[in-house]
Amino acid sequence: MNKRFLYILVLAAAAASCTEKIDLKLDSTYTRLVVDGHITSDSMAHFISLTKTSDYFSNQPSPRVTNATLSLSDGTNTFPLTETVPGQSGIYSTDPKFAGIIGKTYTLNISLPEVIAGTTEYTASSELIGVTKLDSIQAVFRSDIGKDGIWQVKVFAQDPPGSRNYYMMNLYRNHKLWSDTITKVGITDNQFFAGNYIPGADAFYINNSNKWETLYPGDTVTLELSAVTKEYYDFIGQVQFAGISIPFFSGPPANVVGNISNEGVGFFAAYSSSFASCIVK
Amino acid sequence: MKQYLFLFLLISIILISLPVSAQKEKPKTHTISGRVTDSQNGESLIGATIYVSEMKTGAVSDIYGNYSVTLPVGQYTVVISYIGYSTVQKTITLDKDVTLKVELSVRQENLKEVEISSERNNKNVLRPEMSTFKMDIKTIETIPALFGEVDIIKAIQLLPGVQSVSEGSSGFSVRGGAPDQNLILLDGANVYNASHMLGFFSVFNNDAIKDVKLYKGDIPPAYGGRLSSVLDIHMEEGNSKKLEINGGIGLISSRLTIEAPILKDRCSFIVSGRRTYADLYLPLSSNKALQNNKLYFYDLNAKINYKFGDKDQIFLSGYFGRDVFKNQFAGMQWGNGTGTLRWNHLFTKKLFGNFSAVYSDYRYRIDGGSGSESDVTAFQWNASLKDIGVKGDFSYFANTKNTIKFGVSATYHIIDPGVAKGTGSSVFNEISVQHNYALETGLYAGNEERLGDYFTLKYGLRFSMFQNVGPDTVFQYDANYNTSGNTAYNSGTFYHTYYGLEPRVGLLFSVNDKSSVKASYSRTNQYMQLAQNSTVGTPLDIWFPASPNVKPQISDQVALGYFRNFRRNTIETSCEVYYKWMQHVIDFKDYAVLLLNDTLEGQLRIGKAWSYGAEFLVRLNEKKLNGWVSYTYSRVFRQVAEINNGNFYPAPYDKPHNVAIVLNYRISKRFLVSANWVYSTGNPLTFPIGRAEIGGKIFPIYSDRNAYRYQAYHRLDLSMTFYSKQKPGRKFAWDLNASIYNVYNRHNTWSIEFVQDKVNPNVTSAERVYLFGIIPSVTFNFHFNNE
Repeated sequence: MNKRFLYILVLAAAAASCTEKIDLKLDSTYTRLVVDGHITSDSMAHFISLTKTSDYFSNQPSPRVTNATLSLSDGTNTFPLTETVPGQSGIYSTDPKFAGIIGKTYTLNISLPEVIAGTTEYTASSELIGVTKLDSIQAVFRSDIGKDGIWQVKVFAQDPPGSRNYYMMNLYRNHKLWSDTITKVGITDNQFFAGNYIPGADAFYINNSNKWETLYPGDTVTLELSAVTKEYYDFIGQVQFAGISIPFFSGPPANVVGNISNEGVGFFAAYSSSFASCIVK
Repeated sequence: MKQYLFLFLLISIILISLPVSAQKEKPKTHTISGRVTDSQNGESLIGATIYVSEMKTGAVSDIYGNYSVTLPVGQYTVVISYIGYSTVQKTITLDKDVTLKVELSVRQENLKEVEISSERNNKNVLRPEMSTFKMDIKTIETIPALFGEVDIIKAIQLLPGVQSVSEGSSGFSVRGGAPDQNLILLDGANVYNASHMLGFFSVFNNDAIKDVKLYKGDIPPAYGGRLSSVLDIHMEEGNSKKLEINGGIGLISSRLTIEAPILKDRCSFIVSGRRTYADLYLPLSSNKALQNNKLYFYDLNAKINYKFGDKDQIFLSGYFGRDVFKNQFAGMQWGNGTGTLRWNHLFTKKLFGNFSAVYSDYRYRIDGGSGSESDVTAFQWNASLKDIGVKGDFSYFANTKNTIKFGVSATYHIIDPGVAKGTGSSVFNEISVQHNYALETGLYAGNEERLGDYFTLKYGLRFSMFQNVGPDTVFQYDANYNTSGNTAYNSGTFYHTYYGLEPRVGLLFSVNDKSSVKASYSRTNQYMQLAQNSTVGTPLDIWFPASPNVKPQISDQVALGYFRNFRRNTIETSCEVYYKWMQHVIDFKDYAVLLLNDTLEGQLRIGKAWSYGAEFLVRLNEKKLNGWVSYTYSRVFRQVAEINNGNFYPAPYDKPHNVAIVLNYRISKRFLVSANWVYSTGNPLTFPIGRAEIGGKIFPIYSDRNAYRYQAYHRLDLSMTFYSKQKPGRKFAWDLNASIYNVYNRHNTWSIEFVQDKVNPNVTSAERVYLFGIIPSVTFNFHFNNE
C-alpha cells in the first residue's frame, strides 16, 4: 500500500518532468556470483541459474557460470542438481520428481570450478512456507481507467490469522506465464488485512492499450498465489525498484539484499503456491 | 529540578550584577524610548537603527518597532534610519525620560531633495551580529521567480551558505545542515512543512509577509530547538492609517490582500488569500483520465492588532493552507495551520515584555481506492503533528552599555505518526502507530555589552529540556536493531528527560565605522526530527522526538568574519568562515521503512557530521543597482558506523562551490529589470559500478555512498517590471511583471535513472530527469490605496 500511493506523487512530478539519455562514465568493480532460482512444494524440475556480474554498461548477456556443482539439502537428505546443458547453460535443474516439503528449510550448496570474489563455495537457505488456499479469481474490465481501460484480476482468499504473511503473485494467460519478468510479479504483505477474508482485491492491473499483454474474452487466466519469506518479499521489492530514483520517495540507492553467502548476489527462494483460474468474459 | 535552579541562578546573576556595575560609572541617566513605524501604513519597522551621534552608540528597534536608549543627561543628535526609508534626524535635550515616536517614509528615488539624507547606515558593520541575512519583502519581490510566483524560501536559497536540496524544492540546507534542522517561524509559530505542491512553491504568501531574517549561525539564545538555522518570518500587521487592497493575477495563482484600520492608529487588520488554478485547465485535457483530476493549493493569512494606550499591544495572527490532489485512484491533502496570540507590554521605558501563546499544526490525509463503494482496498490514512506553546520574552535596556534579553518557553508536542484504516467495504484493518507526546521547555538569558569604543561582547545561555510524556510504549533494540523488549508508560508520566546547556557567545571588534571583525560560537540542541530519507521531501512527514533510544542532536559552530563597507555604506562586503561539529545526527538504514512503523527507531542509524566553509558576499544598495553577489565554498560530511562500511561520506547537501548573483537595476521610475544567476557543484550521488540480472531485470551494484556527483547546476533567470505612473494622490497603481526562468534552457539534473532497454534487454542506459526547461511567465499586480 505504501508504494501504491507514492505513485501518486510520481504522477504529479511526471507531469512536469522530462527525460533524456546521457553518457556517463562509470567505474568497474570486482565480479560477484549471481544466483537466481527457487524450489516449490510442487513435484517438478526446479531451476537455479548462475551468472556473474559485469560492468554496468557492458550491454552483453550476463556471463554464465558453468560446470558448477550444486546440491540441495533439507537437513537430512541431499538432492543433487545437474546442469541442463553440461558446460554451457549455467542453469541447474533438480530431479523432475523433486518436491519441497512445507515447513522444512532448504539449503543450496554451490561449489564453483573457478574462484569468484575470492571463493568457490557459496550457500543460501530458505524456509518453505505453506500457503493459504486460493478460492477463486475474477477478471473485470474497467473502461473508466486509463486511455483504453484496464483489466483487473481480483483475488478471493482467506488470509490465515496470527502472523505477518508475505505473498507473491504470478499470472498465467492461457497457461503461459504472463508475469515473465520479476518487475511484473505482484507482491503484498498482510499488514493491512491480517486475518481477513479477501473478497476480491486487485492483484494485477493489465493495461488494455498494450495488445500483446492484454486479455481477450475466452482467455484462461490463472493466478498463482505463493507464500514467501519476508526476505524474499523484500528482495523482490528491491529488485523491482532498483535503478529507479524518484527523488520524492527514494532513499539513497543501496545494493539489493539477497540471501547468498560470501557477497553473492541474488536469491535462492523456497515457497508453496495455490492456483485458481477463470475464463475471461 | 537542579537544572532549573541553576538557570534561575544564572539569570539572577546577569540581572543583578550588570546594573550594579553600571551604577558606578554614571549617576544620572535618562531614557529615550519609543516606536519606529512606516508613515504610510503604520506598520512597525523591525530593525530600524536609532543612532546617537555624540555617543557613537544606539539601538535597534525590536520586532514591534520598539526601542530604548539610556544616556547621561545632555544634548544629543539622534539619527533614525531604515533600509529603503528616508533618514530622520532629531535633536533632543535629555534632562528627563523622553518618548520619541518616529514615522519614517519610503525613500522616493526620484525626488532630488531627499537624496542628501539617503545615506545608508552601517548597522551590518557595527552590530555584534554575524551569519545573518535580513530581507524585506520588496527586495524579494524583485527576484525573478518560477512561474512568476514570488517566493521567500526560493529567495533564501540564493543566499551564501544556503543550498536548495534539489531543483524546485522548498527544502534548504544551511551550512551543511539537514532541511529538518531549520526552525521556520511564522509570527513565532513553528511551520513544520513549508512546501506547497511538492516544494515548487512555499507556504508563504509574500503579500502578507513583512520581513524575513535568516540566522545561519550566531543564533540568539531566544531561539532553540533546531540545529542549523532560524528563519524568522513576520506577517504584516495591517495598515492602521487607511484601507489598502493589493492583489495579483499570475499564470499559476491569484492573490488578494485587504488591510485597513478598524480604529485609526489603534486597531487594524490584514487578510490575505491565495489560490492556484493550474487544475482549472485539466478539463480541457484530451486525456480522459486527467479531466477529473484535482491539483491545487490555497493559503489564508490573517492578522489583527489592537493598541491599548502606549504600553500595550495585542496581536492575533494565523495561517491556514492546504494542498489538494485527487485522481481516480487516490486523493491527498496536506497543510499547515498556525495561530499566534501576542501581548506586547512595555513595563517601563527600559523593560519590554512579550507574551505569546502559539499553536501549530501539520497534517496530511490520503484516501486510497477507486472511489467506488465496492472497492475492497479503499482506505483512509491520517497523520498529524500539533504544537501548543507559551512564551515570555523580555528585553531590558539597562544602560548604554548593556542590553539584556531573557525569557522562558514551553511547547507541548502531540505527534500522531499515522492511522490507516479501510473505508466502505474495504478489507483493511485499522493500523495505528503509537502517538508520541513530549514537553519541550527553554529558559534563556543573554546580554550585549559594550566594552569601550572598540569591542562589543554578546554572551548568553539557553537551557533546554525535553521530556517524553506517556502514554507510550518504548521498544528496546539489540545490536542488530531488532526489538528485544518494550516498556509501557502510563498516561501523564514524564518517563524520560534530556536537558542541555547551549552557550551562545559573540564578539565584535570595530576597526572603524566602516569595518569590523566578528567572531561567534554557538551550541544548539535539537530534540525533534524528521523521518525522511528522500532527497527532495514529500508531504508525508513524520516527526519523531528524542527518546531513550534517540539522543538529542547537538551542534557546535564557530565562525569568524570580516565586514567592510564602501562608498558611504552603499556597498557592504563580508567574508565569513565557519566550522561546525554535529553529534547524534540521523541517517537511515538502507530500504528504511518510515511510514506506519511502530519500530521506526530501529530504522535509524546515528552518527556524526561536520561541515566547514567560507562565504563571500558583496551586497549593493546603490540608488539604481541593488542586490548581491556571493561565492561560497562549503563541505559537509557524515560518518555513521553502519553506513558505507563506517567510512565518512559526503552528506546529500555537500555541494562545494556556489555562486549567486542577484541584481536588479532601476532603469527609470517605471521600469525595473532583474536577473539572477546561480551555480553550484552537482549533488553527490551513488552510482552503479556493476550490474546483475535476476528474473529478467538488470539491477545495479552500487559504488560507495555518494562517491559521484551530478553535473554542475546553473541557471539564469530574468525579469522585467513595468510600473504605472506614480502621482501623489493617485489611488490606484499597478505593475506588470514578465519573467523567464532558466533563460538558456539548461537541463539541470533532478535525478538519474538507470533503465533497461525494452527492445534489447541486455542494454542498459542512464537517463537524466530534469524538471524545468525555459519557463516564461507574466504576473499582473495591483494596488489600491484609499488616500
